[in-house]
Amino acid sequence: METPYNQSDLLKEFSPHLERTSVLQMIWIVFLLGVIGLGGFALYTQISKGHIVTGMRDNVVWGIYIVNFIFFMGVSYAGALISGSLHLFRAEWRKPIIRIAEFITIIALLIGPCYILLCIGRLDRLPYLVLFGRIQSPITWDVIAISTDIFGCIIFLYLALLRDIAQIRDFKEISLPKWKKKMYSFLALGYTGTPEQQKRLQNATDIMAAMVISIAIIVYSVLAWIFSVTLQPGWHSTIFGPYFVIAAVFSGCGIMIITMWLFRKIYHLEHYITRRHFVNVGVLMLVLAALFGYFTFSDYLTKWYGSEKNDELLIQLLFKKYYWLFIISNYVGVLLPMIVVGIPKFRTINNITFSAIVVVLALWINRYLIVVPTLESPYLPIQDSRPEWLFYNATWVEWSLTAAGVAVFALLMTLASKFIPVVNVSEMGDKPVPEEEIL
Amino acid sequence: MSVKWVTSQFLKKKFYSKVNVPKAKRIYQMKKEFHLIIIISLFALTLSHQTAFAREESDTAAQISPSLSLNYWCNSNDSATLTARIFFNRDKDMICLKNAVISFSATDGNKIVPLGVAVADSTGNAVLTCSTASLPAKEGMITYNADFTGAGKYLPATGSFSAKPAKLEVSFYEQDSVRYIKVTGTVKDAKGNPVPFADQGIKLYVPSLFRPLPIGEITLDKDGAGNMEFPKTLVGDSLGNITVMAEIEENDVYGNVVASNSIPWAISKHAIQAERPSRELWTPVAPIWMIITLIIMLMGVWAHYVYAVVQLVKIKKSSKKDPYAIK
Repeated sequence: METPYNQSDLLKEFSPHLERTSVLQMIWIVFLLGVIGLGGFALYTQISKGHIVTGMRDNVVWGIYIVNFIFFMGVSYAGALISGSLHLFRAEWRKPIIRIAEFITIIALLIGPCYILLCIGRLDRLPYLVLFGRIQSPITWDVIAISTDIFGCIIFLYLALLRDIAQIRDFKEISLPKWKKKMYSFLALGYTGTPEQQKRLQNATDIMAAMVISIAIIVYSVLAWIFSVTLQPGWHSTIFGPYFVIAAVFSGCGIMIITMWLFRKIYHLEHYITRRHFVNVGVLMLVLAALFGYFTFSDYLTKWYGSEKNDELLIQLLFKKYYWLFIISNYVGVLLPMIVVGIPKFRTINNITFSAIVVVLALWINRYLIVVPTLESPYLPIQDSRPEWLFYNATWVEWSLTAAGVAVFALLMTLASKFIPVVNVSEMGDKPVPEEEIL
Repeated sequence: MSVKWVTSQFLKKKFYSKVNVPKAKRIYQMKKEFHLIIIISLFALTLSHQTAFAREESDTAAQISPSLSLNYWCNSNDSATLTARIFFNRDKDMICLKNAVISFSATDGNKIVPLGVAVADSTGNAVLTCSTASLPAKEGMITYNADFTGAGKYLPATGSFSAKPAKLEVSFYEQDSVRYIKVTGTVKDAKGNPVPFADQGIKLYVPSLFRPLPIGEITLDKDGAGNMEFPKTLVGDSLGNITVMAEIEENDVYGNVVASNSIPWAISKHAIQAERPSRELWTPVAPIWMIITLIIMLMGVWAHYVYAVVQLVKIKKSSKKDPYAIK
């Protein structure tokens, strides 16, 4: 059984990160703000000139904005599933990394829906979705589901942070500005760790952990159903719900490993986040890679053998125009984590992180291949079939806003780590749960 | 001047300025600083390039030569409707010039009569209706002109159309309990006197939701008259009123000629009380099972949220009872 850490020592170690921001961190933040500024300029261009500055046209009405939306939502749900499950199963090894999963959940969830707003041509009609929304529409389900999920994840994150907030409030050796002290004091809700408070907090956290897991599955399935209830080649599939959920957790594992690697390097957490954590999340990624590969194969195989005219056109498009993207997404992205994590010799921190980067890229491409080629092979041909109207190429505006989304993610992760330690100080200080009590 | 040379000069300068620091550390620090400067410079360069590019694009906006097309419709009340459309092409797209002021005039080759001005709408169309009775004509032919004098970067443009005024009339009659539509047509001779419009094909329409519905075609005889039986299946308004339109389309000499008349001979359209739609996926009211499922799911989720929030409230309250709690 592992020895619990001393909470004061841990807080002392993380205090410098909460107290001040180094020059390098400032430069990093300024750089991210610069990328966000470029995104702001792209957004201004899009609003002033209209969606004509994007690659989206009458035929391909969804582009990389929707891809980014699916991607960030997937990352968020993966964070929720990982943090919720690890919490419920009381996995001891979760303690140093669970905070990272919680940050990923809420930050990705706040960024994802913004891409939908970028995609909408007439934002002034957005209230109609609430005023005249029909319950039968999957778009309405999605709006309800995402807003419900945002509330749930905020509550879960708050519950998970409460003990650490109270610890920082009570920690005397930390020198924080007055406003920050007041903020911690306000957010701590007077938590002092009495048996009654501990019991209430534990109950609420357990319930919310279970809720965020189930909501994540439902919400990402709803997102998949937006596609699969549509009679479009490549989308109208019964396995899209579970396929999306698997893909989401798969990509989320990748983001989790990359973030763990970055925080480990930046905050020198080598003592807390060890090879064991990378291997454990890596094994989860391996299992998900196998499931993802199985679902992908099953989906395309039935379409291929079905030989329906439009499905065949889509598969031809994937194997010709998008050949390399298809190979990277569905072969490299699946096989690499299996090889790296599956063979003990390759199972190093850097190798696992590299395979996670490839997985994240492959999964982004996978979403691109789900959205764009389908819209490029519609059932009804459009009247004016100019290549630039029929096919999709993302413009600098879309790429800038994509980069801005990634920058916002990185910025919020950085700011979050300045607000609360990236390692769960309270749980690290708890007595480890004996193995036989798990489950 | 290569980047390598700049790097070496920079390092040399920095190196001699800090002689007391160990050499390896100095070089490491200088390299670090230099890379930082390069990154910031590249970023600033990217931003400034974007701004400069945008400015350059707006400054070098070339003059645009728009096209102007003129369409002509001769009406039954000795008037003509002139429609000028002004537009230009950019990247294979047609862009209409909204608010362009178009001047219309008529001429026989010698005398020019101004007809008026109209402003183009968002589709680039400027429409003017004028009387054709006293317009100058050469052997009965009137030339209509539409002129755009230019504005800002848009160059002037003109369009013209020549046509002889023609006139159609639609009337209705009943013979032996059979109802007929009658169309008569006249044109003006060289002296300006009306003469029958013989051997001319006329298309008949009634208005419908998207575009006029064709109901038949007749040819005018030597007396300039033609008829066809009134269709019994046409649906009019609640009183049975229907408008029948007669048209000559894009004739080389007469252009577009149109006339219309109304008669209460059509089948009356009765307002039918719409039944309450059944609960389906495609009707405005959702199926009951769907509403119940949604309510159960939302209530289930939100009840747990409320529970968690209540626990937080109780934690807050319990801290007030706790004498050791931070207030």
